[in-house]
Amino acid sequence: MPHRFVDHTGEVELHVEAASEEAVFAETLAAFAELVGRGGDGEHGRRTIELASPDRPTLLVDWVNELVYLAEVDGFLPGRVDELTLQGNRLRAVVGGRVGAAPANLVKAATYSGLELERREDGWHARLVLDV
Amino acid sequence: MTAASEALRRVGDVVWEIPASARPDMRVPARVFADEELLEAIRADRSLEQLENVACLPGIVDAALAMPDIHQGYGFPVGGVAATEPPDGVVSPGGVGYDINCGVRLLALPLGAEELGGRTEALVHEISRAVPAGAGKESLELDAAALEDVLRRGPRALVERFGIGTEDDLEHTESSGRLDGADPAAVSDRAHERGHAQLGTVGSGNHFLELQRVDEIFDAGTSAAFGLREGQSTVLIHSGSRGLGHQVCTDYVRRMDGVLARYGISLPDRQLACAPLTSPEGREYLAAMAAAANFAWANRHAMAHAVREAVARVVGRDAANGTRQVYDVAHNVAKLEPHGGRELCVHRKGATRAFPAGSPDIPADFRAVGQPVFIPGSMGTASYVLAGEPGAMERSFGTTCHGAGRRMSRTGARRRIGGAELRRELETAGIVVRCPSNKGLAEEAPFAYKDVERVVDVVARAGLGRRVARLRPLGVVKG
Repeated sequence: MPHRFVDHTGEVELHVEAASEEAVFAETLAAFAELVGRGGDGEHGRRTIELASPDRPTLLVDWVNELVYLAEVDGFLPGRVDELTLQGNRLRAVVGGRVGAAPANLVKAATYSGLELERREDGWHARLVLDV
Repeated sequence: MTAASEALRRVGDVVWEIPASARPDMRVPARVFADEELLEAIRADRSLEQLENVACLPGIVDAALAMPDIHQGYGFPVGGVAATEPPDGVVSPGGVGYDINCGVRLLALPLGAEELGGRTEALVHEISRAVPAGAGKESLELDAAALEDVLRRGPRALVERFGIGTEDDLEHTESSGRLDGADPAAVSDRAHERGHAQLGTVGSGNHFLELQRVDEIFDAGTSAAFGLREGQSTVLIHSGSRGLGHQVCTDYVRRMDGVLARYGISLPDRQLACAPLTSPEGREYLAAMAAAANFAWANRHAMAHAVREAVARVVGRDAANGTRQVYDVAHNVAKLEPHGGRELCVHRKGATRAFPAGSPDIPADFRAVGQPVFIPGSMGTASYVLAGEPGAMERSFGTTCHGAGRRMSRTGARRRIGGAELRRELETAGIVVRCPSNKGLAEEAPFAYKDVERVVDVVARAGLGRRVARLRPLGVVKG
């Protein structure tokens, strides 16, 4: 399973397995979209996201926090990654989704608690705890 | 059993301790208030390991404390308390949490639940219409100047600018609804953007408004001082600083994570990111956190106004005018307070200030009995009104628990019951439910929480607070 939500008493713990680091970021977006759901149809929209972080795990946290911000302020609920490039500790992505659909559930933030983003024998693995 | 569990030793009737020697990086012991049964639930997740991690913070004094409703969080456990001492002691944004000044406010209606009678469902429905829940944010939208005023002065800005609420409401709010030192300039543009249209909204997760009946009085004198009588209708409001507070925490955890090396701080969990209280980062966080806390008090203040308007529409204007605020307490905050002759920064993460009788920091009409504390149980069970006791000042930096405390994950709760089924169960028990999401409802099922009676019993046995009254739910509006 590319992503799964693991039992966590207080919050939501997300585990992602993917073939590449880029795919981890794309799958994390899919998990975020599943978590927030959609309160209405809205209109198709695209957003370009550019981020720079001190390291790759932090970049993953920043990625989710950018999605949280867009959902809450812009009413943009992501659906898919159209383009995603990682260069050093920078990310550039074009994301397709719905605007004005309103999330069915809210995510407050991605945390650093137990944060993991690492290469394993069978691919890439990430672990992220979200405050909901 | 984890290493933290193995190191735990009983040191009192309901007090347990992990000695500082259990780990080389612990600076103080980790102390837990619990009975055997609660401890079993506490041992089941990573709460104790997280509490040990808190005991590693630079400048922490006495012990890292856990209230009986403790459960696993991120960085700090929920139900955790840590006091640090300036100048080298640190402030940790994660030790306050993303929902800065999440808290509860209790309103007392001037009529009994029986007088409300057949209008109960109508009132719950009207409250659900008056207070946007979930992702809804169409409430009191503030322009930039008004938002800045709210960040500086909290609900006082709403009283003076818009005539919302009363002076009496402000007086019956912890810290009068305003933390000193709030600086809107320390709050990022993003936080302003997330907050400006969210005032008066309950949000989602475990936030709610509950219509209740005072079910039992345990302390008649204190209950009278709080203005509560058996059979009375009350409304409990649980919410916080919404997206504004979440963004403040996000901003400062990231910023402090980047300066740990500069201050020579190493931590067992990045989410504990912190900076010395006297550092530029520490001071700016405290200024931003104070602004977010003021926003949260204004948020609950605006919701209380909406509840009064709902009461006016269903019961009448006289009943709305007679709806009195008992008190409002913060659950997630760091405050500079004097304890034992020292000024300490007390982090309360899912914990409630509980100052006793005689404290100059509580309203004059409560000074003979102690500060009111509200302990929400869960939908379908009961909530408690407590009063702060002297033991809290001696043993927990003037703190008690903040709720029943989760014992089951959200996914675990959803596996066990569906939202529609839970809705039917609650309605069969006579509890009116308004919740936009069946998924969200199931996640907050009563069995997902610890037994609130047991949690309150531990608090009383530990001398942190005493029972004043119990409140039973009549209807719940869930975020």
